[in-house]
Amino acid sequence: MPGLARLRTPEGLRWVAAAVLVAFAVALPPLAGLVEIVSPDSISANFTVGVLGTSALVLALWAISYNLMLGYTGMVSFAHAAYYGIGAYTVALLYQDMHWTVLQGLVLSPLVAGLAGLITGFISLRAVRLYFSLLTLAISQVCYVIAFEWYSFTGGDNGIHGISLPDFLSNPTVLYYFIAGVVAVCLVIMFGLVRSPFGAALLAIRENRLRAASIGLNVKRYELAVFTISSAFAGVAGALFAIYDNQAFPDLMKWTESAHPIVVTLLGGSGTFLGPALGAAVYTWLANSVGKSLPAQFDIVLGAIVLGIVLAAPGGLGSALDGLRRLAARRSGWREPEKGAGDREALGRIDVSKILAIRPPKPPAERSSGATLLRVEGLNKRFGGLKAVDGVSLKVLEGRRHAVIGPNGAGKSTLFNLLTGQIRPDSGKVVFGGIDITGRRPHQLSRFGIGRAFQITNIFPKLTVLQNLQYSMLAHRGDTVRPFGIADRRYRDEATQLLEVVGLGPVSSLHAGLLSHGDQRALELAISLALGTRLLLLDEPTAGMSPYETKRAMELVNGVVAQQGLTLLFCEHDMDIVFGIADVVTVMHQGSVLAEGSPEAIRANPEVQRIYLGDVDLDTPQTGAGASA
Amino acid sequence: MSASTLVLTVLAGLSAASVLFLVASGLSLVFGALRVINMAHGSLYMVAAFLTTAIVKFFSQPTIGFVLALVLAPAAVALIGALIEVLVLRRLYGREHLLQLLATYALVLVFAGGVRIVFGSQNLIVRPPEFLTGGVSLGTLTFPTYKFFLMFAALVVAAGLYVLLYRTTLGRNIRAAVADPELLNASGVNVARLFTTVFMIGAGLAALGGVLISPDQAVGLGMDTDVLVAAFAISVIGGLGSLMGSFVGALIVGLATSFGIMFPQTSRWSLAFIFVLMAVVLMIRPWGLFGRPETS
Repeated sequence: MPGLARLRTPEGLRWVAAAVLVAFAVALPPLAGLVEIVSPDSISANFTVGVLGTSALVLALWAISYNLMLGYTGMVSFAHAAYYGIGAYTVALLYQDMHWTVLQGLVLSPLVAGLAGLITGFISLRAVRLYFSLLTLAISQVCYVIAFEWYSFTGGDNGIHGISLPDFLSNPTVLYYFIAGVVAVCLVIMFGLVRSPFGAALLAIRENRLRAASIGLNVKRYELAVFTISSAFAGVAGALFAIYDNQAFPDLMKWTESAHPIVVTLLGGSGTFLGPALGAAVYTWLANSVGKSLPAQFDIVLGAIVLGIVLAAPGGLGSALDGLRRLAARRSGWREPEKGAGDREALGRIDVSKILAIRPPKPPAERSSGATLLRVEGLNKRFGGLKAVDGVSLKVLEGRRHAVIGPNGAGKSTLFNLLTGQIRPDSGKVVFGGIDITGRRPHQLSRFGIGRAFQITNIFPKLTVLQNLQYSMLAHRGDTVRPFGIADRRYRDEATQLLEVVGLGPVSSLHAGLLSHGDQRALELAISLALGTRLLLLDEPTAGMSPYETKRAMELVNGVVAQQGLTLLFCEHDMDIVFGIADVVTVMHQGSVLAEGSPEAIRANPEVQRIYLGDVDLDTPQTGAGASA
Repeated sequence: MSASTLVLTVLAGLSAASVLFLVASGLSLVFGALRVINMAHGSLYMVAAFLTTAIVKFFSQPTIGFVLALVLAPAAVALIGALIEVLVLRRLYGREHLLQLLATYALVLVFAGGVRIVFGSQNLIVRPPEFLTGGVSLGTLTFPTYKFFLMFAALVVAAGLYVLLYRTTLGRNIRAAVADPELLNASGVNVARLFTTVFMIGAGLAALGGVLISPDQAVGLGMDTDVLVAAFAISVIGGLGSLMGSFVGALIVGLATSFGIMFPQTSRWSLAFIFVLMAVVLMIRPWGLFGRPETS
């Protein structure tokens, strides 16, 4: 049966595991009742369902909301307990001060926690990664101190107790199913979110922040969005805690409490959606058995588990799936990349004419108009006392292939970083297609049609080759704001077509990080094409390539650029390539422009020859003797 | 506020800052060279404090016990540090910060459990050595001698660290690692050994803080995360990876805490105030007052 065969794939196994987990959650109350009848000595059904069952469900919700950040976006927050606590206090305070029912409080809790998340997230996301983590820790402590010290409002260290439930929730089994229902609704919403184009943007950010920005994603804004959403669901989890535990107290908000979602997420695997739910079940069971009798040993066990997972399988279940994928690809004829095995790589299979068949060249009227596409005026950037870029002005005409050369330290990379918005200039102006783009950030530039390939190959290593392209298209076309729909089904055909022509068709389902260097370069170029780039910036496109790869890569770039009417601005050390491709060459020296002109003029320029100190013999590029790395 | 209260508040702030400086400078040094935030840094401080209680108890003579603890506890903790560096961190360099945070966080749990098993969960007291008990009189005021000793110890360590970093080959290599780890790698220094050494020094500084605090404050579970959070605040305010940053950051946090406690209106919020300060600094100067912006 084909249906059964599908279940044996990694995706199928995930669905089976999820079904088992859900079935277990649904069947827990009758199962516990059965256990009580069979062996009356064991723990009571009411305890199993009303305490263990409900707390496991709430923990699962809390951890899965955490995993939106940890697993899907790659953010480590130590403030998740704060939003959980805020959710609990929302229910408790509304109950105590406003005489609201817990259900009304439950409805309001995601809004309150989400708002708190939005505000605190805005503050903490001013910092990046590590500093972000430290800021969340500080925020959590501030929330804790407020809850602890503001007696008149929160009841201080006593907390708020004795929250009573509406009559229909007084039965533990009913309460269990009620909480299960709320958790299920939240999980369905989150599941939809991670599979949507919005979720695709999160994955892209997790894999490669820099690249994510260069395909047009406003990284910070997405991080803030996921932080807020995650906080809102943590708030629901906290509200549910206040409902089943009938209380709220300051210790809920301590930063060390964030250990629970972290440990649970890692325990179950951050690479899968329902992994943390499995983790929650295991954790609750462990905490109730080991944790009760041997609390100190329990800490050590938890620590050992986290340490073991981090050291042995940092991807959790995700990395196991990776192995399966590799196996499947090998069966279909793919081999592990070998160093220097150029002939088997995609670059060797690329046929430029096929690219042109799919993306026909623009009519001559549209290209090579000779108009100025990029104009740089008096650009300055200093680092401390060093003038890295010192009053650089240059014009790149549409349709031209413009090279920037210069000895090491001439400011080429800084210039490129200024043009692509990685760093801001101190003064000067960059105008692209008539629009002033000075100091704009990378994600905005990609919208204008400025594409960049990086000195270090820059792709999304743990996304499949196909996803690399699909997600780039989603981001570029502004679809990633959508929190619904399934990202992996969008632009599939278009992306597949593009991959076929750059020779990556056979490896489209493989993680991009497994590809050889040359293949990754080809993928980068495909991403640039997918982004509708008008100006392609290449920073040492052939660095680290074998001579064979270099030759193929430059043929590819040259062919694509010429036929698509793209404008190319590149810097390169290999003079064969520079003089073989460029129409115009700008020479930089010590941060300023030394000379500009046709390749012939530059080669004959004595000034230029002098700065290279005979390092490169510019007169005889055809012999290859002049190539320097 | 009278002049005498002012003096006492400043002195209390300075002595609090002294221990915080020791702990924060270790955290900062490790981050600077290894690019790792050691979440277990506070745990090492706590382990040393508990070791001090055991050593002092063993010798039943507070002076000898304490002096020995000043040497033995940091040495033992530095060895633990070496084990952590070799067995855990070494496998995570160059990987995502996320994994390093999680791994060292796991160690927090392990140490908390371990200390609880070995020493129990009761708070323990260490008596200061006899020659440091009592107070020093300043005109009409007296201030505990031991707290002066803390300030003295911090100044000695600060001077020692300065000499180590700026006058020795090891220090030159450490500073090189802070400035450009890749270049150091290429320059023939045994980076693996350098990193182990740096981590041992960092652990030793945390431990020294733990030993010194134990006669001044009850030794108990929970002191690990308390000091960790304070050390984070200091490092973030002063700038991770900067000795000067740790020094100034510790002064700011120490004085802010003691002045916060002085006023009844603010005493409850002094802890929160530090974190608000930390958040403000991070927003304006994300790399801290004396740190350098991280290049990508």
